[in-house]
Amino acid sequence: MTEPLLDIKNLRIRFRSDEGTVKPVNGVSFQVNEGETVAVVGESGCGKSLTSLSILGLVPSPGEVFEGEIRLQGKDLTKLKKNQMRKLRGNEISMIFQEPMTSLNPVFTIGNQMTEVIKLHQQLDKKESINKVVEMLDLVGIPEPERVVRQFPHQLSGGMRQRVMIAMALSCNPKLLIADEPTTALDVTIQAQILNLMKKLKDELNTGVILITHDLGVVAEVADRVVVMYGGEVVEEAHVNEIFDNPVHPYTRGLLSSVPKMTGSVEELGAIQGSVPTPSQMPKGCKFHPRCPIATDLCKDEHPNLEETLPNHFKRCFHMEGGSIYEQHKRETTT
Amino acid sequence: MRYFLSSILKVIPVLLMISFIVFFLVRLTGDPVSLMLPETATDQQREDLRQSLGLNDPIYIQYFTYMADVIQGDFGESFRYNQPAIDIVLERLPASFTLAISSMIIATIIAVPAGIYSAIKRNTFADLIITGSSVLGKAMPNFWLGIMLILILAVQFSIFPVSGSGTIAHLVLPSITLGTAIAAEMTRLIRSSMLEVLGSEYIRTARSKGLRETIVVNKHALRNALIPVVTIMALQTATLIGGTLITETVFSWPGMGQLLVQAVNARDMAVVQAATFIIAILVILSNLTADLTYRFLDPRIKYED
Repeated sequence: MTEPLLDIKNLRIRFRSDEGTVKPVNGVSFQVNEGETVAVVGESGCGKSLTSLSILGLVPSPGEVFEGEIRLQGKDLTKLKKNQMRKLRGNEISMIFQEPMTSLNPVFTIGNQMTEVIKLHQQLDKKESINKVVEMLDLVGIPEPERVVRQFPHQLSGGMRQRVMIAMALSCNPKLLIADEPTTALDVTIQAQILNLMKKLKDELNTGVILITHDLGVVAEVADRVVVMYGGEVVEEAHVNEIFDNPVHPYTRGLLSSVPKMTGSVEELGAIQGSVPTPSQMPKGCKFHPRCPIATDLCKDEHPNLEETLPNHFKRCFHMEGGSIYEQHKRETTT
Repeated sequence: MRYFLSSILKVIPVLLMISFIVFFLVRLTGDPVSLMLPETATDQQREDLRQSLGLNDPIYIQYFTYMADVIQGDFGESFRYNQPAIDIVLERLPASFTLAISSMIIATIIAVPAGIYSAIKRNTFADLIITGSSVLGKAMPNFWLGIMLILILAVQFSIFPVSGSGTIAHLVLPSITLGTAIAAEMTRLIRSSMLEVLGSEYIRTARSKGLRETIVVNKHALRNALIPVVTIMALQTATLIGGTLITETVFSWPGMGQLLVQAVNARDMAVVQAATFIIAILVILSNLTADLTYRFLDPRIKYED
């Protein structure tokens, strides 16, 4: 098997303060291959955004990666010097953020902000880099790119700004693109356009994509593989069809049942009880047990490991046949 | 350009209001005739002077006569100096202007780097030193700092002249006195503005592009952080030109503040009115400058509105 593009192993991030140390990311491992889209799914606060920031080496202070490896084509990013890391950012790894309205600097033109990254990483002169910008803006479907180059962010709509962000992120042909909820702040019609665009560009450029989202509709649309995170760790990982057809972890099942469907009665829309624990109040044992419908005493005391139950299907749950127990439990409670 | 013209048009009613207030306030402070004539003057003499000054006319006639003169640049004669009031005021203007500008330059040279540095080194020892000294600078009375500077740098070491004006050397101590006080306030302002900007999403974007931290700070953050600072700076400059009585007194600096206070004490109405007018125009001008700079720094504000 060829080496994965990105290999995260046992990543742990901590924040130290006077009140103590919290570990919002605690032992995350997953891989991304070239040309593959991996969706990282979970509720707010599960550590998914922090994981993605750590790949760029941009964990906000006082946070730090204190254990684990992030290997990009075999090179451990956590060991790189600041200078070396900076050369990768925007070049080999780039990121699209979830707030298109505020992610562009309001006082500089689109052209200025885009040529900046091209000039930095691709040794092009001013004229060449402006041509490149126009070409990229055209590629992401912005009408009249020559005019947009001279415009300021506030003159563009949210959808257009997100296209600019995508164009900027892709302008140096990155090997890895991290998209942190790229469509959350956009209208539904624009969402579809942006997702199609990302899919198209990914296929053309063979970029590996990490798509961070809590929108399972988006996941079904674009992902190849899905990593479900809860409480700073991976609780289930499988191919996208596997996740939707045969979810094993009770948390994944909860997430799926909370999505409204076109078929079936409306009353069946499920919700996961309780809320995400804060990193400082993580429960002992399985982190999901206080909210889990099938939790047993074992779950309260012991912390389950991530295990491969089916080929390429990993889950972190003691109840190996979690599915059937879950079904059984559901039957019992509904009857 | 259209914006510029419309702002100038907006200034006219403001100036009218000021003229109105200045004119009536001065009239309320007492009878100028009793000040201008010795106590031994006869009633007839008083009446004659009153008549010749037009003080017996109805007050609105007096106001209109006054305004007609003002529009022609005639603010009347100063009876203390027996010169046109406007000449006396304009004579003081260069001194005030020089002191204001040099203090602002000193303040900017100190505050911009200090503010940026303490923001990027937040909660470190350096930050503590900078914020600590800016509290100190703000709390220290101007006259005390001025006197200390005179004692040490002028009296003890004779590096700079004790007081007066005329040469660049005369300018140094009063500029430092005023400049450091403004710097203290500006540093805190820049620091907090910078901290807010550094936490914003577009700074994270800039970092994610692989830009050097110096470019992230000095290009992407600073320009945004300066927007609120510019307004304060322009207003400070106006206040400085308008006069900083205490510093001017300590250093015998022949500025507007000194002139205005002397004129008020002597009830030299013409000078008070002329000085107030000039100061008002300067404040308006500096507001206009702030507005234009603001628009230059922040493209979100359109000239059309």
